[in-house]
Amino acid sequence: MNALLLFAAEEEGGGGLEFPPIENLVEWPAYFGEGTIFEFNKIGLISLLALIIPTIMFLASKKELVPSGLQNIVESIVDFVDKQVILSAIGPEGRKYMPLLLSIFLFVFFGNIFEVIPTFQMPANARMANPLILALVAWVTFIAVGIKAQGFGGFMKSSLFPPGVPKALMPLVSLIEFISTFLLRPFGLAVRLFANMLAGHILLVTFGVLCIAVWKASPLVILEPLTFATLVGLTGFEVMVSLIQAFVFSLLTAVYISLSRSAHH
Amino acid sequence: MSFILFAAESTEEAANPILPVANEIFWGAVAFFSLWALVKFVLLPPVLKVMNERDARIQADLDAAEVARSRAGSAASEVSDQLVDVRAEAAQVVDAARAEAEAERATLISAAESDVAALKADAEAEIAEARAAAMSGLGPQVAELAAGAASKVMDRQVPLSSAQPVVDRYLNNPN
Repeated sequence: MNALLLFAAEEEGGGGLEFPPIENLVEWPAYFGEGTIFEFNKIGLISLLALIIPTIMFLASKKELVPSGLQNIVESIVDFVDKQVILSAIGPEGRKYMPLLLSIFLFVFFGNIFEVIPTFQMPANARMANPLILALVAWVTFIAVGIKAQGFGGFMKSSLFPPGVPKALMPLVSLIEFISTFLLRPFGLAVRLFANMLAGHILLVTFGVLCIAVWKASPLVILEPLTFATLVGLTGFEVMVSLIQAFVFSLLTAVYISLSRSAHH
Repeated sequence: MSFILFAAESTEEAANPILPVANEIFWGAVAFFSLWALVKFVLLPPVLKVMNERDARIQADLDAAEVARSRAGSAASEVSDQLVDVRAEAAQVVDAARAEAEAERATLISAAESDVAALKADAEAEIAEARAAAMSGLGPQVAELAAGAASKVMDRQVPLSSAQPVVDRYLNNPN
């Protein structure tokens, strides 16, 4: 991204600032396999790193009764997902979904955190592919859980025909429930993550470009501390956003699973 | 200096940057499903195992502590009961000692009173004896004085033999 920023900050004649086109911020050249489904670019690399890093962390952590070092971090993550996601949304019986919810949490977080890692500076979830995959997984899971818990008819009935609604309104309510449950839930999951990370990415790029432009513009260089401090602050903020989005995605998935398990919601 | 922010100019082949692309979906799916499988079968079980073991150990320690606390409580209760018994026994001993001392005191007082009564009786006997001795020694002299005084009053000689019984009677029964 540094090259992009330098490119973006390049003065044009009268010293103006050219902000890079949006596709230059989110689309990356292929490392190999260009033009095929196997085309591997920075997003693919970050996705693989979101697989490799937690795998190494879990494998490298000791398995001792008195934890120390990396084991503390790994167990804290597991404990966080257990207590803050599973127990708070589903209850103890939701622990069988721990592998899925932990995988979602780790994959989203490590996909996000590359937004602030130098040389990468791009969250994989600022592209629609990964949020879409995760949302589809969540969608299939909560439908499967609902059908398994209540049967197909029971799940459809509890999802589309809420009790207490007047019969005259039932068609309209059922339509709304169908759109809400089966279309908006996965769409909302995917777009929430994607939009948050894309917005954060654009925000960081904007302030990065602004810092360089201000640095090069002699009368405005006095604003540099302000713009740079804002960039640093926003970087910290994006670290927090990365974590929060991972938590929100896994928590909402758990909530949807929990709602599917109960007959009336 | 002017800042010119402009959106991407749409080119004829430019894809919508918001839409997902197949290659990113492929690599994302490969990565995520691999992570899910690894977490489910390889990564998570040993972590959960050690966490459960730790929880079990902690629970066992807590249970042991609870048992020890219960035992300590029952021991304390036992000691308390014993203390109550000992205190009752001590009170009984003190009461018995007090009663014994009281009896001893009563015995001693009784003995002392007996001694005092005996001493008093002896003293009274001695006094009576001394008094009788004094009376017996005093009679002839009083009779002589009474006979002399009567002789002078009556202007005739009163014999001592007639005065002696009167004086003895008076001395023996002065009232």
